[in-house]
Amino acid sequence: MNGQTTTHATAVAATEVERETEAAAVTATADPWVTIVWNDPVNLMSYVSYVFESYFGYPPPKAQKLMMQVHHDGRAVVSSGPRERMEVDVQAMHGFGLWATLRQSGSSGGASEGGAA
Amino acid sequence: MTPFRSAPAGYVARWEDVEREVLARVARDVAELLRAESGIEPGIEVGDGVAFTGVARVPQDPAVQRLLPDAHDEDADVATEFRHLTQTDLAARKVARLLAFADAIDPPDGSADDPRDGAEIVVPRESAQDFAGALTDARLVLGERLGLVDDADVEALHDDVLAGLEDDVDDVDDADDADDADDLAGWERVGLSGPERRYWGGVFVAAGFAQESLVDEMLADLRAGRSTP
Repeated sequence: MNGQTTTHATAVAATEVERETEAAAVTATADPWVTIVWNDPVNLMSYVSYVFESYFGYPPPKAQKLMMQVHHDGRAVVSSGPRERMEVDVQAMHGFGLWATLRQSGSSGGASEGGAA
Repeated sequence: MTPFRSAPAGYVARWEDVEREVLARVARDVAELLRAESGIEPGIEVGDGVAFTGVARVPQDPAVQRLLPDAHDEDADVATEFRHLTQTDLAARKVARLLAFADAIDPPDGSADDPRDGAEIVVPRESAQDFAGALTDARLVLGERLGLVDDADVEALHDDVLAGLEDDVDDVDDADDADDADDLAGWERVGLSGPERRYWGGVFVAAGFAQESLVDEMLADLRAGRSTP
């Protein structure tokens, strides 16, 4: 970006950005990735709930449901979206000490949103 | 050790001197292990937000593998690339908060504000997440060393540690000698003696007690809109 664009050029550029944004959104929808959190025997249930509520901003009932899913089913899909976004989420989960992986949704063994296989 | 309670200054608990010293030593040991295993050279500062380059390598120690896990369970290329891009920063942040945790509960000699001799531990709200994270990493390493593989292992450990506090008869070593190898508990597979298991199990249980009470208060504050995550 530079400071010499005319109003017209700026408008054209803005339209281009919109198109690119739409294209990215279509790609993200067609090709989403997911963040999966896996069960482990050490992490406390209250801590897992805290992570889901504080990091993802999930309301307590949703955080609780996902936490119980991890506990009982061994894993749960906790977020979905473009790969770059999921990489941020996975790194954050590792920072909290949770065992998390990313996966392309629909790949073999992949879990659908909100449900573990 | 008393549970953490919410107070105006932060989350407050009282720990015995021995509890401070042992948990600080564990945290400092885990920090050193993380440095060595993740390729952070000695002497490199790991302070907040300091970016530096480092060659990420896959940790050999299973406990450190748990702290710095693969980011993909099937695609090794994705896992390797992720590790290359993120591991050094992640490990450095964990090292920094483990050392901060250790200094908070067991200030280095000569520190002006040594809070020991029964004084309170005060965890300010803005650093509570790091404090809880350091406890998590320490517990994950202790759990690995104790051979805790599933929830039943943890329950058995809790029961044995609590029983040991009431009854110090040292029968843990002999109880399962007749069992087949298949029946060995996780702690027997990792080669711990009964007394070792009881000691480190006690540390694990104490760290869990501290974390549970801290996180309960953090969660209450978060839900009441009082926290600064």
